[in-house]
Amino acid sequence: MIKARSFKGGIHPPGNKDLSSKQPINRLPAPETVWVPLCQHMGVPSKPAVSKGDKVIRGQEIGSQSGFISLPTHSPVNGTVKSIENFPMPHRRTGPCVVIETESEDGGQVFEKWDDYSSHSPAEIIERVKLAGICGMGGASFPTYVKLSPPPDKNIDTLIINGIECEPYLTADHRLMLENPDDIILGMEILAYTLGVENCLLGIEINKPDAIKLMDEKGISVLPLKVSYPQGAEKQLIDAATGREVPAGGLPLDVGVVVQNVGTAAAVAKAVRDGEPSLRRIITLTGRGVISPANYDACVGTLFSDLIGKSGGYTEDVKRLISGGPMMGMSLYTDGVPVTKGTSGVLALTDDEVRDVDESPCIRCGKCVDVCPLRLTPNLIALAAENEKWKLAGDFGALNCMACGTCSYVCPAGRYLVHYIKKAQDAIRANKGREA
Amino acid sequence: MATRRFELAMSPHVGASQTTRKIMFDVVIALLPALAAATWFFGPRALLIVFLSAATAVAAEYLCLKFMKRPVSFALDGSAIVTGMLLAYNLPSGVPLWLPVLGTAFAIVVGKQAFGGLGHNIVNPALLGRAFLMASFPILMTAGWAAPEAWNSSADNTWGTSGIVAEEMSTIPMADAISGATPLNVLKQTFDLDASAVNARNEGNTAEAASLEERAEGIRSALSCKSTYMNLLVGRSGGCLGETSVILLLVGAIYLIIRGVLELRLPISYLGTVAVLAWVFGGSGWFNGDPLFHVLAGGVILGGIFMVSDMVTTPVTPKGRIIFGIGAGLLTMVIRRWGGYPEGCSYSILLMNLVTPLIDKLTLPKVFGEVKKNG
Repeated sequence: MIKARSFKGGIHPPGNKDLSSKQPINRLPAPETVWVPLCQHMGVPSKPAVSKGDKVIRGQEIGSQSGFISLPTHSPVNGTVKSIENFPMPHRRTGPCVVIETESEDGGQVFEKWDDYSSHSPAEIIERVKLAGICGMGGASFPTYVKLSPPPDKNIDTLIINGIECEPYLTADHRLMLENPDDIILGMEILAYTLGVENCLLGIEINKPDAIKLMDEKGISVLPLKVSYPQGAEKQLIDAATGREVPAGGLPLDVGVVVQNVGTAAAVAKAVRDGEPSLRRIITLTGRGVISPANYDACVGTLFSDLIGKSGGYTEDVKRLISGGPMMGMSLYTDGVPVTKGTSGVLALTDDEVRDVDESPCIRCGKCVDVCPLRLTPNLIALAAENEKWKLAGDFGALNCMACGTCSYVCPAGRYLVHYIKKAQDAIRANKGREA
Repeated sequence: MATRRFELAMSPHVGASQTTRKIMFDVVIALLPALAAATWFFGPRALLIVFLSAATAVAAEYLCLKFMKRPVSFALDGSAIVTGMLLAYNLPSGVPLWLPVLGTAFAIVVGKQAFGGLGHNIVNPALLGRAFLMASFPILMTAGWAAPEAWNSSADNTWGTSGIVAEEMSTIPMADAISGATPLNVLKQTFDLDASAVNARNEGNTAEAASLEERAEGIRSALSCKSTYMNLLVGRSGGCLGETSVILLLVGAIYLIIRGVLELRLPISYLGTVAVLAWVFGGSGWFNGDPLFHVLAGGVILGGIFMVSDMVTTPVTPKGRIIFGIGAGLLTMVIRRWGGYPEGCSYSILLMNLVTPLIDKLTLPKVFGEVKKNG
């Protein structure tokens, strides 16, 4: 038995993954109309490159990159641009979308196919990854090409592929590892080649023994990890895998590591081998608020309501709709929002599943301090933030918080710790801007 | 498709089932075995005192909340009941019935609500209430030690200890015939005997000094015998209501550990410090004290499980909790050995409560990835 590694702190929320973990990935054809957001990645939205009435083909650039932390956006279908308008987004209030009427969904190969990636230079591959519009598919949606271009003074020696999926309910990465391991493996090889690293690990939590076994059989060096939330958070994963602590305020490359999600690896493989940009992704539609939970392979721009319609609809007692997982996902007031490259899951939760505790005063039980994976004191930051003592909140390390929600999860007083801490972060950043 | 509106809320959307109310009622449940012991050894009056305290606590909390126009539902969150019970557990069984009522009202109104209610009080309200009663009614608070099972007239009131201890007890002034001294009273007497012996020796009266020393030593060895330990474990000894039975207090502690309510750093560092220091200076000289007697006698088990570990008034940082426990243990032993009271548990915790914010500030954990020098 291999010894599973972990980090210090963390919690064990009920996984609820069995709702959808046995459902094979179902490839959905593009809906009649797609709403393709121009800001699917973290950073500056792409600039519209088409206008109303234009004919577009699948894979065509409909939004061009604007800035370093930015990416181009591509049409997932062949069709006609109906309009460019603001639309509700899964992670922002609203954002610009290119609305396209679908005619068909064939084609999509817009770059040259490279059968042998190693005959191309790392720089060429990075350019391809950028042009293909690939961003991190684990949730944060950071442009992948930026992560592959470390400053020359940083020596990268380890690549970790993240197949952990520590958010409860979600099974998209799990299904992808089971059903499409070869794309992930090719993607790993390409990424390792591009970064010039020998040491390449695939981290999987031990609650997915079938995926560990499969990848192991394929000769991949699998890093088994204990089931603990947030095991999949970049810093915690690096700590568990290498024992290195990413400096506060720093990046993984400061300790010589790059982390990429399994979905990202598969997207890189597609872009390099098949010449296809990032047009689709795997999404888990689950929760007890939907009649039949499922894993879908859907194109970006598909509305959540389309997914739910395909699956058979909501149950009577559905209460909350969430984009992402239950720990960090955003609750939405409507299901009329499009899938983006970063949408890992759509959750419909019932009254029984959501936690509904009336907020009461902090009783200083210290549970949040014990579980915080970043060793913060969430209760003290939250108290400072509640009283608008931003400097004090900053002294307690508010800016380090990644909003994983572990503290709020355990808080017996039901305090909105993540909310207070985020508020402090916003205020501290705003004040900094004013002083500078 | 009809537009459906969903509830909006902050992440995380799921959470643990533990709530403040559940924690408080778990503490109440964990206190019940000790209440059974108190009733058994000190009679139905013990039950009445605890009930009066708890009822007063809830009533006082309700009135305060009403007066301050705050949600009165807080009065039933269980925290007031815990305060009331703990205060009663710190009283001798012979107190007049108005005393627990007055003490609890003080604890809730001044100790808790004046600071802003649940979560905002600086010191443990129950202990503050006890300190208030000790300062205001010292005779009532120390003279009412009922000998265990004295309410049942057929029982012997020397808690079954050997002759010399019983004899010593009879020299300790008591309010009435059914009162009995606590084991710590008796231990305190031996320190007084030691002091008298030193005086006698200084005056050149060697024979008297030797006899005083011999007597003190005799009492101490009688206290450190198996039958004393057994009596303390079971609860057959004089003392406050709640501290009497160590075994039943530990049953409560195990329940709290199972329920994930009791955080072990505080009680272990506290009781550990008491035990070590008892050995170092809890006896006649250095390094010959009896740790077992010091841990079992008096209120340190009650204090260690239910008051040192009070969440609101103790540090939140892991290191801070250990420092708090050690500090409280040190103060307890210093008071027991050299202070004016035979027992130092409650004052030690009160004093440490006051430095809790400072401890938190000085022991903030190093944030993940905080830059190490030349890292």
